Amino acid sequence: MGLLDLFKGKFVDPTYPGVHGGGNIITTTLSAMVRWGRRSSIWPMPFGTACCAIEFMAMSASHYDIARFGAEVLRFSPRQSDLMFVAGTIPDKLAPVLKTIYDQMPEPKWVISMGVCASTGGFYRSYHVMQGIDEIIPVDVYVPGCPPSPEGLFAALMKIQERIKTGEQAKDPQGAHRVGAAGAGAIDRRTRREAWAKDDAARAAEGKPPRGVLSLPVIQGSTEDARHG
Amino acid sequence: MASVTNTNTAPPVSPEVLAKPAARALREALGDRVLSIEDFRGDLTITVERRAWVEAARQLRDHADCDFKLFLDLCGVDYLDREDRPERFEVVLHLYSVSRKHHVRLKTPVPESDPRVDTITGVFRGANWFEREAWDLYGIVFKGHPNLIRLLTHESFVGHALRKDYPTAKRHVLKSSKEVLVDIPPGSENLLVNIGPSHPSMHGTFRVQALMDGETVRDAEAEIGYMHRNFEKMAEERTYWQIIPYTDRLNYCSSFMNGHGWALAVEKLLGVPAPPRAEAVRVILSEFSRIMDHIICVSTNVVDLGAITPYFVMFRAREDIYTLLEACSGARLTVSYVRIGGLAQDVPDNFEALCRAALASVQEVVEAGDKLLTRNIIFMKRFKDIGVMDRDEALSWGWAGPCLRGSGVDYDVRKDHPYSGYEQYDFDVPVGTVGDCFDRYLVRMEEMRQSVRIVEQALAQLPGGPVITDDKRVAIPPKSEVYSNIEALMNHFKLIYEGILPPPGETYGYTEGANGELGFYIVSDGQKHPWRVKVRPPCYNIYQAFPHMIRGGMLADAIAIIGGLNVIAGELDR
Repeated sequence: MGLLDLFKGKFVDPTYPGVHGGGNIITTTLSAMVRWGRRSSIWPMPFGTACCAIEFMAMSASHYDIARFGAEVLRFSPRQSDLMFVAGTIPDKLAPVLKTIYDQMPEPKWVISMGVCASTGGFYRSYHVMQGIDEIIPVDVYVPGCPPSPEGLFAALMKIQERIKTGEQAKDPQGAHRVGAAGAGAIDRRTRREAWAKDDAARAAEGKPPRGVLSLPVIQGSTEDARHG
Repeated sequence: MASVTNTNTAPPVSPEVLAKPAARALREALGDRVLSIEDFRGDLTITVERRAWVEAARQLRDHADCDFKLFLDLCGVDYLDREDRPERFEVVLHLYSVSRKHHVRLKTPVPESDPRVDTITGVFRGANWFEREAWDLYGIVFKGHPNLIRLLTHESFVGHALRKDYPTAKRHVLKSSKEVLVDIPPGSENLLVNIGPSHPSMHGTFRVQALMDGETVRDAEAEIGYMHRNFEKMAEERTYWQIIPYTDRLNYCSSFMNGHGWALAVEKLLGVPAPPRAEAVRVILSEFSRIMDHIICVSTNVVDLGAITPYFVMFRAREDIYTLLEACSGARLTVSYVRIGGLAQDVPDNFEALCRAALASVQEVVEAGDKLLTRNIIFMKRFKDIGVMDRDEALSWGWAGPCLRGSGVDYDVRKDHPYSGYEQYDFDVPVGTVGDCFDRYLVRMEEMRQSVRIVEQALAQLPGGPVITDDKRVAIPPKSEVYSNIEALMNHFKLIYEGILPPPGETYGYTEGANGELGFYIVSDGQKHPWRVKVRPPCYNIYQAFPHMIRGGMLADAIAIIGGLNVIAGELDR
């Protein structure tokens, strides 16, 4: 395939509209040409914070080789990149940093949210972890996994290429108004226990244990019967 | 409610505990200011009065019978609404004596009404960040601390997050980061340079701010907490099994070793050992993890210096180790393969072949890396006599692992306190002489070769048998039994429903992680969730010294130093 074939996205068909002179001359629109250039030489910016960054490294190293997708020019300066990989958990302390770096990227720009922590906070439902980066920046592709495999990342990269080709781009932070985004609904342990303690007496009268306490006895240590202790 | 036994009602000192020199020495020096001395699972715990806190720490460091020079860990504990405790808070200090090969735990109760205790930063330099962390997370004030401000959480945070009455998921939004960390002298025309939190040579998210005078660093200050994802708070709401996946994400370059350390710490608390086959497999996979970690450290360190070839060469071996881990556990990076009392399942049939393939690959890339780097004149000029850390300083900061051994201290948990059967294997512990970047690099390279030796021996004598203990209080019975007999079914149900119920007490389990001594301090109140889990992350102490190491040096040297310290954000901030 030659260069012109690639940017049309198909083998040159001499009968195709816009193909002249037996395939030697092709007429097209400027935007299609520019999109072809963009999707074939993505310059990613790895915003690697945690475990996912290690898998990102695996993806860019020799075995998986991100260069096969034309995206091997990793730029650590947001001003030179058009795709941001957010690889890893984003705690609240890092949120302004992420926002600043996103804002520094020139348009057009795309974002891949790599792994469940970046997408939803993952299993860190806690006091210092942002519950998904889409609370503050728009995300184009979410990659599940903890961490995702390099294959999953390549799938995401190809999705981004498709989006570039069609000109789609996420515009708003999708999760900004998500319920619980700022930790609503968190219950204080002491408050919960006090609330439960209100009906302790009533439950005790019925012969039930207090709320939140299991009435099952503790299993004792192994007995002589090793099989069915 | 499961009854909580009082661990403090034991007679203050039993004769066999007093036979330990440290206990005797401290009792003689402090008299009745020592509240109690206990020994639980081999951990010596000394509780002193608050007014004797600094004096006790100093005695432990300087007394001839103690010599606890290596600062390990300091943390707070919140005993909210616990009638068996005299005060709400407790400050806990862990120390180690390299000469006597002994750990000690020093505690002091701190009341809620006046949560103040004297700082020990004058005794151990490394206590600085630990006290800031205890203030940040528990609100315990350390009188005389030079810079008692928030460390892990951000400056817009309200409250002290690890207190028991702080809701786990209550967040506070930070609008903008702190601009200036260092003190700028008035009228100064020096340039302020931020390295991180998002910087290619930082390998994660930590930040150093340097005040430059030309190319020379005049002053530097570090800021962490950009990866603080609350392992310790989450652990208080999870059962002992459920914590295993969280441990994988502490030092994610060598996930398996964290789970190994956690399992050993809980097994120590329970008094339930894992069967020999499980221990041998744990050793093999831990050593492979150590190799992976060192490969990342060495190869990315030289990428920062401009040499990308070693990175492409050495990362090949990591893929072979990933293949092995994936065959065992199903996951490449975050394996979650250990269980309390053994392993999740037996290794696959082709385990040995996969190990041999990975070993061959490791040997090849280590030698290739060695040829590319060790005698490379550019590399030597960037590394030799850069970032020198002397022995006593390293101990006072609380360094451990390859960095401490690079400074000439021969302390390796695998040798000095063998666990998981490390005593059966023949291996050497490399030790540096100068304590510079080059020594740390050499130690890491040699450790990879020693790890290969350990794996070969462990493979040659891999025992048969089960891979998980048959103790019914700890291990789930095999599925075939669960489906075929009622006792096993009930056992399964109870374990899933109630979790593992360890005895009340506190233990400090420690292993040799890739960066040094990885400790888990577990406080159990006899219920299914731990009351408190404190990770002793090796690179926390190491990174704490970093701003002090780069002062007066060149900025480019700072980049060479940071890569060789191998600071992992997940472990640093937890």
